[in-house]
This record gives sequence, C-alpha cells and structure tokens, in this order.
Amino acid sequence: MKAKRITKKIIKRAILFVVSMFILSIVVFLLARIAPGDPLVAFYGDGIETMSEAELAAARTRLGLDDNLFIQYFKWLGNAFQGDFGLSLKYKQSVGKVVMPLLGNTLILGVIAYAVVFVIAILLGTVAALHEDDLLDKIICKVGTASYYIPTFWLGVVLVLIFSVNLGWFPSSGAYDVGKQADIGNRLHHMVLPLIVMIASHFWYYAYMFRNKLLDEFRKDYVLLAKAKGLSRRKIVWKHCLRNIAPTIVSIMAISIPHVISGTVMVEAVFGYPGIGNLAVESAKYHDYNLLMVTVLLTGAFVFIASFAAQTINEEIDPRMKVAKEIKW
Amino acid sequence: MANLYFENSGAAKELSDDEAQDDIESVDLFKVVGAGYKTHVPQVKKLTLRQRLKGFPIISLIVLAAIVMGCILAPLLANHDPTGFYIKNSNEPPGGEFLLGTDSLGRDLYSMIWFGGRVSILIGIMGAAIVAVIGTVYGSIAGTASSRLESVMMRITEMCGAIPSILLVLILSAVIPGSNIVTLAIVIGVTGWFGLARIVRSEVRQIRNSDYVLYARSCGGRFMYIFKTHLLPNFIPAIMFVVVSAVGSTITTESTLSFFGLGLPVDVISWGSMLSLANKALVMNTWWVIIVPGAFLIATLTCITNIANYYRKENNKAPSNL
Repeated sequence: MKAKRITKKIIKRAILFVVSMFILSIVVFLLARIAPGDPLVAFYGDGIETMSEAELAAARTRLGLDDNLFIQYFKWLGNAFQGDFGLSLKYKQSVGKVVMPLLGNTLILGVIAYAVVFVIAILLGTVAALHEDDLLDKIICKVGTASYYIPTFWLGVVLVLIFSVNLGWFPSSGAYDVGKQADIGNRLHHMVLPLIVMIASHFWYYAYMFRNKLLDEFRKDYVLLAKAKGLSRRKIVWKHCLRNIAPTIVSIMAISIPHVISGTVMVEAVFGYPGIGNLAVESAKYHDYNLLMVTVLLTGAFVFIASFAAQTINEEIDPRMKVAKEIKW
Repeated sequence: MANLYFENSGAAKELSDDEAQDDIESVDLFKVVGAGYKTHVPQVKKLTLRQRLKGFPIISLIVLAAIVMGCILAPLLANHDPTGFYIKNSNEPPGGEFLLGTDSLGRDLYSMIWFGGRVSILIGIMGAAIVAVIGTVYGSIAGTASSRLESVMMRITEMCGAIPSILLVLILSAVIPGSNIVTLAIVIGVTGWFGLARIVRSEVRQIRNSDYVLYARSCGGRFMYIFKTHLLPNFIPAIMFVVVSAVGSTITTESTLSFFGLGLPVDVISWGSMLSLANKALVMNTWWVIIVPGAFLIATLTCITNIANYYRKENNKAPSNL
C-alpha cells in the first residue's frame, strides 16, 4: 500500500518534471533564436567577410539555420534525445564534448559548498537561537549580515588580491595545475578560495532562517512540557525542536539549490574555475547560444529533480503532511 | 442605572465645587447628561521626535543620504573629468592630486565614484520599480483569479523562480542588444519579481474575501478600482521590505554583470563597470581600484538593507519557553 502510494507520487512528479523541462527548453530555444547577432559570425569569426553568398547559404543549411523556428526546434529536440545538442559556435565542437569534462568540476565545487554551507548554517542558527539576544547572538547576526551583503564577485576579487597576489598562499584561478588532474591535494588547494567565497556569501541567509524557525519553536507549549518533565536544555533542543523543524530544513535546502547554483556561477567566473558556470558566462558573452541553452537546461533539470526529491522526502519524514492529506475529503 | 447617575453626580459636584462655590444650591443631586457623556476621549500624547524615530536606522539613513546627495551633486564634487584619461598619472595611489587614486586607464576614481553612483543608484531604483509593478499586478491578478488560473500562474512563477536568477539574467542580457541603463534595469527587473508576486498573492488571498472588498465588487467596482483602493494600501506594509531590498539586489546584479563584461560597457561609468577593471588591477596590484568602488557599493547596500529591515515585521515577542 505504502510502496504503491510512493510510486504513484514519483510517477506524478516525473510527468511534471518532463513537462517543466519541455516548457523550459521551448522558452530558452526561442530566446536564443530571436536573439540578435548572426551565429555565423560567431562561428566563422572574421573569416566571414571573405565568403561568398553561396558559401554562406550552404553554411546556413549545414548548421540548420535556414528552416523556420518550429522545424528548427523539433529538429533540435530530436537530436537532443540522441544526445546531440548541436555545435558550440565558439569551441567548434559538439556541445556535449565541451560540457562533459567540466561537469565534474562544478559538481565537486557545488556539492562541497552546499554541504558545508548547510552544516554551518544549522550549527550557527542553533547557537544563535540558544543565545537569543545575548552578545554572542548579536555578534553572529552582525557578522552574518555583513558577509551576506558583500557582493560575491567583489569578495572573490579581494580574496585573490590578499591571498594570491600579495601573500601567495593560494592560486588565483583554475581547478588544478597542469598535469595534476588526479591530485586531490592540488585540487583542494585550488578550491579553498572559491569555497570561502561560496560559504561566506550563502551561509547567513539560511542560518538566519533556521534561527528564526527555532525561536518560534522555543515558544511552543511542548517545550514547556519537556522542561517541566525535567529534560535538559540540550535534549529539548536536539531531540525535540530540531526534529520538529527538520521538514522545514529539508524544504529550505531544496529551495536553496538555485541560489547556491547562482553562487557557483559567479564564483566560477571570478576564479576562472573550469566549470559549467564559467562556461555559461563565457557563452553569454560570446553569444554561443547552443552552449548557453545546454548549460541552462542542465542546471534547470538539476534544480527540478532536487526540488521534487525534496517534496517526496518531506512528505515521508513529516507525518503531519500525510495526515493532512488523508483527512481531506 | 441609578447607581451610574449617582456616581456621575458626585463627580459633577466635585467639579462644580471648584468652579462656583456660591452657587451650591443650583447643583442638583441628579445631573442631566447628554448621550455621549461617557465617550472615551483618548489622550493623544505627542511623541517627541526622538521617540518617534526609535528603532529607525538613522545612521544608515544619514550615510545613504550623504552618498545620494554626493551623486546628485557630482558635477560640484568632482575635481577631474570622470571620463578623461590622465594617461601620465595612471595607477596613482590615493592621496595627492587624485584623491582616491587613478585606475590603469588613468581615470580619476574620486570623480568617477560620484558619477558612477548616479548610474548605479538609478538602475537600482528603476529595477526595483519594475519589480514592484510587475510583482504587485501579477500577484493581485493571481490572488483574485479563479483557483485554476491562480494555480497555473503560481506554477509559472515557481518554475521561473527555480532557474538560478543569474542564468536568467545572463540569457536575457545576451539576447537583448546594446546594453544601456534602461535595458539593464529591465533585464534585472523582469527576472526578479517572482518572490514578490508570491507574497502579494498570499496577502491578496487574505484580503479578497473581506466584506469591504465584497461590497466594492457588488457595487460594480472594477479590478483596477479595487486594486487601487483596497488591495494596494493593505499589502504595502507587507511588501515594503521586499521592494526596498530589491533596490540593493538590483545594484548588486548590475555590478556583477558589469564586472563580467555583460552589463554596461566600460565607458558608461557605474560602480560595477569600475570594478570590471579589477582583473587588470590584480595584475598591477593596485588595491585601490578594487577597494574604493567596492567600499561605496557595500556602504550603500548595507544602508539600504538596514532601512529595509526596519520595514520587516517584527518576529515573535513572546518569552521563550526554553
């Protein structure tokens, strides 16, 4: 019975996912095609001035630019299902070949940053809530707000200025030194500054949310009961309050994914970290629409999957949600 | 009833005792009073200016006002041509003839700050205005629409909100030709209203079933009329925080885009486009080129945030049970 319900839900979510991706791809495709700037110029660069009309027309046909938008879209969609997302106009390669090697780099950076951000946010949020209105809480709040409102790219540049240019402790760009692709220490060394920027610009938003949620929780009656029962402060907080806001934490973590990805894009571009985000900024700069589309679709897919997964998890771990669903008639 | 009159007559007696001692005979035991004699007249205590401003971030307001005034009066404050290239004096540190130094193109940072602030703040205000207009109108329509239309409209905002905002901005800024102040503000505004629309919608859903809205509708009030007279005044306090902080986030996005070379061109001076020379500054190790525009940017953002936080609803004041 339970398994059936879950599969039903998952199927429903999967259909929703396909529909969302479909709409997203249409929107992005249209935007990319109605954009100004001749893709041929991007493809051939200055060489285009020496080409004859016939050559240009042939090139257009070869790149599939001469059909109307509908046909172009369905052609693109058909190819996409076979894993062919078209040519990157800047790199003169198939988009898949450009994107694939960088996917790993971005995932490593994003996942580590995401995990650290949330561990720090939960811990700091709890500490701040426990010391409500104390000096400690006020200090955490002030420092956190300051770090949140410093623009991400500026913090990155300043850190490079201090730690790479002047102190020379950390490299200023890249994901690894040449030929040291498999060297974990080298990768970590390159990742320190980007990670610091990611964490500094993200943790506070969530820590503050958790702090306020916990403060609301501390004002509920069951806390008074637990206290009267003789439970220690630590037990009340860790076993009761945090468990009660766990569903909120999960859904906030899901909502936060686009936010964190935005951060990765900026950080990668600032530090010249070879990843999807850097690629997205570059392709926007050079009007490389095929590449831009794929980066947006990839991140979109990732975000949708994550948010649907979070909804499913939430419904399973939060008994209140299930009861609410079943009582409704 | 009688009791009540007695009470009152006592009070009346005391009063009249003071006023007219010789006229004791005329004071009746029962005094005839008018209909509203017990109407409570609230004592309006005039608050001092200090009390009224309590909690308002005055320092932020002063700093912000100073920066804004400086930008408005830029031609008076600037002591060099902000667009001029003083090639001979390029990369000069702060102090001396160029108060805040010069960048690698030999432009005077001090003069550029004030002129750049004009552009940055203007974009911030325009972007926030676009966010506010689209967000409130869309949210109100969704909030008053039938439940089916509403769920479709909200699905759309959810989907758009799920895409990382920087990517949306990147696509649009790549698609729209020739970036200038207006197009940039539009790009940032158009991608930033989803959260606001959601807040407005939930506020409107609370208001839409109240009696006065029902009355206005049954009197034949059109959507725009109800929006203007009933909805808007009611949810303005709830969205002030979002709108004010939208000014800050628009300024941040603009500077981020300009820094990546996707926003304003280098010759249009804004705080962001000043920072787009940061990479050159890193090579030359000229810290002031990075720090000076950044400091102004952060000061402005912090002030805006403090003011925005003032409008945020205070959280639960009940004592903690822990």
